[in-house]
Amino acid sequence: MRKSVQKLVQFMLLLLIPSIGFSQYTVTGKVTGESKQEPVSNVSVVIKGTRIGTVTDAQGQFSIDIPGSKSATLVFSLVGFVSQSVNVSRGAAPLELSMKTDVLNLTEVVVTGLATSVKRSNLANAVTSISAKELTGTTQIQTTDGALYSKVPGANIRMNGGAPGGGMSIQLRGVSSLVGASQPLIILDGVYINNSFQRSGRASITQAGGANQDDGSNRLADINPNDIQNIEVLKGPSAAAIYGTRANAGVIIITTKKGANGKTNISFGQDFGVGSPLRLIGTDNWSVDKINFFFTNPVKRATELVRFQQAQTTGQIFDFEDLFYGNTSALSNTRLSASGGNDKTKFFVGGVLTNEEGIIRRTGFERYSIRANIDHKLSKRISFSINSNFIRSNTDRGFTGNQNNTGASIGYNIAYIPNYYDLRPNSAGLYPDLDYGGPRENPLAVTDKATNNSLVNRFIQSATFNWQIIDRDNSSLKFQMTGGLDFVQNSTLIHLPEDLQFQRAQANPGDVLHGRQEAFNKNFQAALVHNTTFRNINFTTQAGIVRLEFDNSAFFMRGRGLAPGQRNVQQATVQQVEQQFQSKIQEAGIFAQEEVNWDDKVVGTVGIRLDKSTLNGDIDKLYAFPKASLAVNLTNFDFWKFKSISQLKPRVAYGETAGPVGFGATFTPLGGTNTGGLLGSVVSTQIGNTAIRPETAKELEFGLDAGFFNNRVSLEATYYIKRTSNNIQNLNLSPAAGVSSTPSNEAELENKGIELSLGATVVQNKNLRWFSRVMWWKNDVVVTKLGIPSYLTGAFGSGLGTFLIKQGMSPLTIVGTPAVSTGVFTEWGENNPNFTMSWFNTFTFLKHFDFSMMWEWRNGGENINLTSFLTDLGGTTKGWFNDDDKDGIPNGRQRPPAPYNNAGRWVQDASFIKMREVGLYYNVPDASINRIFKGYVNGVRIGASGNNVLLFTKYEGYDPETSTFGAQSISGNVDVAPYPTTRRLFFHININF
Amino acid sequence: MKNNFIKSVLAITAIVGFAACNPMKLERVVDPNNPSLGSVANNASRAQIQFLITGLESRHRDYLFTVTAAFGTFGREIWYFNASDPRFQTDWLGQGGRQPDAAYFGFGATGGAAYATPYQTIRQAIVLRNSVLNTAAVNEQEKKAVTGFAKTIMGYQFMIPANFLYENGIRINVEDPMKPGPFVPYQDALTYIKGILDEGLNDLNAAGTSFPFNLTAGWAGFNTIEGLKRVNRAIAARLAVYRKDWEGALNAANASFMSLAGDLNTGPAHVYGAAPDAFNPLFYVLNANISTVIVVHPSMIADARPGDLRVANKFFQRASAVSVSTDAGTLFGSHQDRRWPTNITPIRFIRNEELVLIKAEAHAQLNQFSQAVQAIDTVRVRAGIGSYTGAQTQAALINEILYQRRYSLWAEPWGHRWIDTRRYDRMNEIPVTLDGGRVFRQFPKPQADLNWNLYVGG
Repeated sequence: MRKSVQKLVQFMLLLLIPSIGFSQYTVTGKVTGESKQEPVSNVSVVIKGTRIGTVTDAQGQFSIDIPGSKSATLVFSLVGFVSQSVNVSRGAAPLELSMKTDVLNLTEVVVTGLATSVKRSNLANAVTSISAKELTGTTQIQTTDGALYSKVPGANIRMNGGAPGGGMSIQLRGVSSLVGASQPLIILDGVYINNSFQRSGRASITQAGGANQDDGSNRLADINPNDIQNIEVLKGPSAAAIYGTRANAGVIIITTKKGANGKTNISFGQDFGVGSPLRLIGTDNWSVDKINFFFTNPVKRATELVRFQQAQTTGQIFDFEDLFYGNTSALSNTRLSASGGNDKTKFFVGGVLTNEEGIIRRTGFERYSIRANIDHKLSKRISFSINSNFIRSNTDRGFTGNQNNTGASIGYNIAYIPNYYDLRPNSAGLYPDLDYGGPRENPLAVTDKATNNSLVNRFIQSATFNWQIIDRDNSSLKFQMTGGLDFVQNSTLIHLPEDLQFQRAQANPGDVLHGRQEAFNKNFQAALVHNTTFRNINFTTQAGIVRLEFDNSAFFMRGRGLAPGQRNVQQATVQQVEQQFQSKIQEAGIFAQEEVNWDDKVVGTVGIRLDKSTLNGDIDKLYAFPKASLAVNLTNFDFWKFKSISQLKPRVAYGETAGPVGFGATFTPLGGTNTGGLLGSVVSTQIGNTAIRPETAKELEFGLDAGFFNNRVSLEATYYIKRTSNNIQNLNLSPAAGVSSTPSNEAELENKGIELSLGATVVQNKNLRWFSRVMWWKNDVVVTKLGIPSYLTGAFGSGLGTFLIKQGMSPLTIVGTPAVSTGVFTEWGENNPNFTMSWFNTFTFLKHFDFSMMWEWRNGGENINLTSFLTDLGGTTKGWFNDDDKDGIPNGRQRPPAPYNNAGRWVQDASFIKMREVGLYYNVPDASINRIFKGYVNGVRIGASGNNVLLFTKYEGYDPETSTFGAQSISGNVDVAPYPTTRRLFFHININF
Repeated sequence: MKNNFIKSVLAITAIVGFAACNPMKLERVVDPNNPSLGSVANNASRAQIQFLITGLESRHRDYLFTVTAAFGTFGREIWYFNASDPRFQTDWLGQGGRQPDAAYFGFGATGGAAYATPYQTIRQAIVLRNSVLNTAAVNEQEKKAVTGFAKTIMGYQFMIPANFLYENGIRINVEDPMKPGPFVPYQDALTYIKGILDEGLNDLNAAGTSFPFNLTAGWAGFNTIEGLKRVNRAIAARLAVYRKDWEGALNAANASFMSLAGDLNTGPAHVYGAAPDAFNPLFYVLNANISTVIVVHPSMIADARPGDLRVANKFFQRASAVSVSTDAGTLFGSHQDRRWPTNITPIRFIRNEELVLIKAEAHAQLNQFSQAVQAIDTVRVRAGIGSYTGAQTQAALINEILYQRRYSLWAEPWGHRWIDTRRYDRMNEIPVTLDGGRVFRQFPKPQADLNWNLYVGG
């Protein structure tokens, strides 16, 4: 009986699947690139409408069996090339196919959900992709966060200062939070990495204030930019909704390089460069008249006249800007990587040694990084990949920015020193003391002897496991699991030696602060992805879970009254614990998404993410973040007849995300305090809010993507409205309650903006290829609901310019004295540009040369320039003693607008035009390489480039891009004696073996 | 076969994995850095009560630097030079026509150390009081001792914002932080403060003889119930003078630690120490070449009687003057404060010398001139300037007492000169010509309080 059943089944199977074993035909061919000469391997050759396919080998050749006997369409695709479809039928001759380079990256794949990706041509969101070539192709950037400026429309990227080691604020699509820093979530190879600004304690030692004035660098600076294959920026909730909490301010997805099938390719690169200040503003000269005017104390005046005469006779007038900031610094970057593999295993191994000095003496940045990325196919269905990266970075950032009394800020200090005073040490090595109106400290001694160092050891590890459970022609089911960890250990040291002038005047001279911080991020994700095609509609369904854990601990020990030359805390008279702090955060979420693709003509997606977090008042409550989008590729329709328009895709997308609650918002603690040798418990001034919930953002985005003349010209236009609600603010209680605040979710903001991008290959012929791209974007933000009375926040009070948070106005509004009525101040400007524009050009000419440059124009927006405030007080601003209106009061004491003693003089227009990057490279011709190196070397590329090369601005400071408070949503534009921006010029050589 | 094996291994791992740890389950995170307020609300232990008491001592001194420096500047007892921030000169001296506003420099929108900080101390005292009343670990007598102590400190601290805002009044009912009571006029507030101090005295009267918890060394000589009662009455004496209750002032002074024969310097103190404690905030290295320092106002030197020991003991003449410049000109300080030998010297917050002068003032106001002169002479003789030989009329004696208070109570953590000239309507006597500034009468309600009214009032 069994046997006959078997036979019956076999017979039925034969009837049902008639093509097996009987009808099929084979098609072969060869695929080459645009120039028709070099073969292209790894090109995917797929029978359209099925999942039957193969790839081309190293010679570009392929062979595919087509079931049945009817003609079929073969689709040839590879990222970087324009896809092609070719009709084939039984008995056709071997194909010869030439693929065109995809200049506009329409074939690239872009991540949409957490486990899937989609072709850019089907994408319904405005996602910006930056390839390795755009990242480091023109010039060598120092840190990854600095590589994004001018390349992401909708992003407000601002350098906080020019100190080595980075430190940028990245704000996507405006302000998402009134209390947070609105920085995006960053995912590197599936790891939720640490991109925080860690405390160094400098602001405590210099007495500047809180940790936001530490001028800390961002931990994104550790990542080697040369390891990166591409960066995708999901700018707002409509794209990032599937990431749920933490995605309010956007998501940046970084993928590092992978190996490829073929011969192992070894690449060596060396950059040598020099750094110099981008812009110095000059100081005022002195004269007998000026000294008589400025120094009103007769004794002091007499001393100064003597000093001035002496300096005149010996000719010793100093240029302090040049002395402190004008050091030409050496920059070096050495890279070595190997990538290769075979069908089963692919690897990428690379290392870098970066050593860049800063333009201020004894500052600099060193990075040592080694990476190994391995992909392995265990079997036809199962594969895994492992990415490991160890980084050690050592940064000295110097002493700049704000300070109080200690004199530990060069810019602050030299604002008060006339240029005829000699700061240099005498032959015995003693630095002269200062007795001017500013801090009583010698800035040269601080530069030569004080230390501000941060040594980071970091390990990032990710592992992904893929299991193709079902792999049929028309459907597939995939299981993917990803785990990642990021461990950062940061040892910081701030040291002001005991022989400095200010320290000698203290009861315990000498101040040292040792910090040890550890941050450990872990994440885990598991997802199932099901893909099925029915007729010509493709359904991709995915569902999964995510779990995140973030552990942080910080420990700072301070010693004062140091033994001579010692930095160990046990050599201090007063030893104290400055801070001990731990935090632990756990989050978990579920997500699901359905994507429907009708023949690449209409692509729609719906999805949802549900999240919970221990940061919220209710840790078990799941908050929902839905999303939906629709894109219509009009040109793929049959009715489309306009040949000149190669792509026209209107799109609309909606999504919701959240911004996390700060750690501790639910606690009402008793603080610890010591007095008279006893421990006390003090009631904290903040009451916890046990009902607190995350801030949420809802975004609706409309866009149009268009391509003309065979995608030679492309246009991307987007308009978005992003509304955030439940914005967390501190509800300030009556101070009479003895408690100052409690966090509350009451405010609402609305951001509206436009992003435009127009790119074109303007000239394309044998001798010259010129690609140009213009991007233009703007964002406006308004507080739509405040819930509490309006208040002033940020910067240094209404006398110098502060920010007004008021319903109906932009939270970036700068106000200050004079008061228009009680408690109401004059509006002086806004910390928001009218628009930002970038212009990128790349030329390939004479076959072997390529030249690129990137310009950025930021129009409008104001800074609060307090460096001018200090230099005016000290009498050293350039042109201080001129008297434009001839009324006897010099300009330095009479800055418009009248009546001359209000905040208006410090709020200044921060518009600028910068040449961000410029580079000229020569690719040595193959013939010459073969002649010289006889086959050992595959390619040699030499060139010169520059970063932050030119600056055109009316702003009266070192750089209109500056923030003494670091990354801030609202008050990120206050200028207080910053580290000047560095112009970096390089010479490069790259050799491939 | 290999595939099947791998598949089953994976499936089993997945099932076991998910059973063992549910990835969707989160553990509640308890504050890893601090105990919570909730932990002392009910059934606090003796140790927790002790920590709250020390916490109250710590909060009790937080007001000191700003009140001494700012109120002292307003009364021109001192100038506070700070070259790092010229607003300590321009704004505190009222140069260029500047007027106090609801978020003035040095105080901010919350009123800073002259408003928010005393109320934080009061909050701490309220929490301590509630905690000790709500626990069984302490007996009735001990509870009275603790509440008596807490109310004494509360009375002291309430006077600071009252004097800061003066005629603008202050809030007195602050039991519920989310529902603070309304503003009441200055004299009503002072009456309320008298009530608290008297309640504190009553509690201490039922508290036995010894204080059942540890106090810092600042209370040496005062850390028994008897000592605390005397301190309570000393504070009540200071208050009575502001209420113009002269009889009450005499009664309170007599019940306090006042002693005509005793050391004029006795009194309870705020203590300081090396880290993790705080340093004495009024300590500056003598003669140091710095640009941030409290200097003696030149009028104190100019108006001094020759041989006044208070000048010799309190004012140190620098080898070279300190100066700071603003756009209103340059100021010079030739003398600085020499009362603090080290940076951990304690600062007494109410002293016998003040109680003697309160006695003198009360007698003068009650026309008991010979007793007034006796008290004045106690201070004068100790200061080495001989007995009082002027007229024995109320006006002359008040002049003399106010003059002596300038030197005896110079730069004490209270701002006596500013308050004294105001209560006697003599603010025009404060010398402002040297700095070109103006005298502030009082400060307006802080912006944060106005905002709260808007928030709740709608």
